[in-house]
Amino acid sequence: MTAIVVLLNLGLGLAGLGALRLSLARHHDAVFAVPLARRRALAWRAGGWVAIALSLAVAVRFEGWDFGPVQWLGTLTAAALALVVVLSYHPRLAWWLVVLPLLSSAALLTGLSAGGP
Amino acid sequence: MRNGFRQSMAWLHTWSGLIVGWVLFAVFVTGTASYYRTDITRWMQPELRREASLDPDAVARAADLAVAHLQTHAAGARAWFIGLPQPDRPLVDLFWRGRPGTPPNRVFLDPRTGEPAALRDTRGGDFLYRFHFELHLPPLWGRWIVGICAMIMLVALVSGIITHRRIFVDFFTLRRDKAVQRGWLDAHNVTGVLALPFHLMITYTGVITLGLMYMPWGVTAAYKGDMQAFFAETGQVTQPRPAAGRPGTLAPVGPMVRHALATIPEPLERLTVQNPRDANATVIAVFEEPHGLSHEHPQVAFDGTTGAVVEVRAGGLRPAARTFTTMVGLHEAHFAGPALRVLFFLCGLMGTAMVGSGLVLWNVARLPKKGGAPGFGWRLVHGLNVGTVAGLPAAVAAYLLVNRLLPAGLAGRAEWEVRAFFGVWLATTLVAFLPPLRPRLAWSGAMALAALLYLAAAAADVLTARGLWDDPAWFLGFDAVLVLLAAALAVVSRKIVRYEPPRRARKADPVPAPGGRVAAKPRSAGQPAPAMRRETETRLGRA
Repeated sequence: MTAIVVLLNLGLGLAGLGALRLSLARHHDAVFAVPLARRRALAWRAGGWVAIALSLAVAVRFEGWDFGPVQWLGTLTAAALALVVVLSYHPRLAWWLVVLPLLSSAALLTGLSAGGP
Repeated sequence: MRNGFRQSMAWLHTWSGLIVGWVLFAVFVTGTASYYRTDITRWMQPELRREASLDPDAVARAADLAVAHLQTHAAGARAWFIGLPQPDRPLVDLFWRGRPGTPPNRVFLDPRTGEPAALRDTRGGDFLYRFHFELHLPPLWGRWIVGICAMIMLVALVSGIITHRRIFVDFFTLRRDKAVQRGWLDAHNVTGVLALPFHLMITYTGVITLGLMYMPWGVTAAYKGDMQAFFAETGQVTQPRPAAGRPGTLAPVGPMVRHALATIPEPLERLTVQNPRDANATVIAVFEEPHGLSHEHPQVAFDGTTGAVVEVRAGGLRPAARTFTTMVGLHEAHFAGPALRVLFFLCGLMGTAMVGSGLVLWNVARLPKKGGAPGFGWRLVHGLNVGTVAGLPAAVAAYLLVNRLLPAGLAGRAEWEVRAFFGVWLATTLVAFLPPLRPRLAWSGAMALAALLYLAAAAADVLTARGLWDDPAWFLGFDAVLVLLAAALAVVSRKIVRYEPPRRARKADPVPAPGGRVAAKPRSAGQPAPAMRRETETRLGRA
């Protein structure tokens, strides 16, 4: 149970931080041909924060207010480290590192809600 | 602006970090390993057979055998500590102090027979755990030194945050293709900033854990220095019962153990017997903490001569005491299951990397000019860096390796393991100081040595202890982690040998718009960045 929630937190953390990263001109322009417009940046930023907030909500929902925040911060740290190291070697994966974790998180979340806590 | 706030904070960060860096690195390595303290102990005693479960009768019988042993061998002791068998560690663990000046006694018994257990003599994960806050010094000295270093680390953390002017813009930035110094600064920033919640939590709660030792004045004033009275009144221990001064006979502890087990639904961890031969003897059953952040052990106290329950203490701490036990709980992470434990371990590794990269950065930022010779300060820091950052992981590997190589019957075996730990650490440091050794060769050589030692420890386990494993998958998993560590260290060693500084490192990437705002118009690529170099120098405290 906890392991699945940790995976879900990792996925949401990766997607959220990946989106926040793409809201920064330096990282965005390294991947996309079109320079970052202000609107796009705001959209990336909003999406990123939503995913991170959702991750906290999931952690608190399944682990409670005592362990939830601990697990949320821990998974955010791990996700950020993975993101920074992987993208330092393969910057082109930036887009995939948002989409794939998001899809797998969605699948996990559906599975969890179907199964119930 | 030359002596502005940020510059003074950069200076403070550099020097506060450097003077305690080596101790902090050791504290981080051993503390991170301590998240797997029981696993390390298990690996270091492969003879131990685990049990599926232990029924209350078996625990009660083990307690009776333990008391019988102590009555013959520790009659004069004022207190007995009896670790009771657990399914994953079915041993009776006895501890008592003899006359002042003699070393404390520790004996492991087989819980079925009461005979000394047939296990190799080792300090296991407990050595790394105690080193984490006592540095293998007399406890008081070690705890003071670690505490002062941790307080200075808080200074370094806060001044580092202030110095780092672009936390959000550089949040995801790890540039490996720019100047050496830039790369190390990025590595230091990334490991520091990404795990910042952990670093702040672990440093602060670490100081708090021993806070009563560093700041005892409240207890001195309100309780006349009587710590036990303070702990009892805050609900952390049962009420102390002073000795009556008349001899008494200890009642059988088996029934007390059964009664305690029926009272509290947690595993029973240990018994403490105070004044065992006094009319006012007390037996305290201490349980494992219930699942929760807070680190508080339920306890049941018995009158030792009659066996009657004196006090039951479970939960119900007042807010201040609960804040304290929650901080201790967060620091020790006993609550963490396997998944969460991996995250704590990873954060610990990032803290280790933060301290290590900070130490290396000091040297990198002060590399002598081409053709120049490094000064004494540079060579001193370099030698200590190699000796600590590479030598300490090598020492931990040596500690594990000799556990498999030393003969089981060797006198003082556990001490020899500790000597191997310090021997390898010291030898690596001394070799790093040899003048003809080029700095890069010293680094790659020490890293390669550490990699070899981890590999050797895994190989020695498979070759010498295979027949003893009670759960081969578990031991192979532990060995796989050792091989992974060896591979990581080997990669580092190879990278150091192969490294070539990038040419034209000065032509750095464009300066981001001030304040981290997104630039409205596209910026011209490849624009020289004089501001960045200035910033790097400021951050390194050379302004």
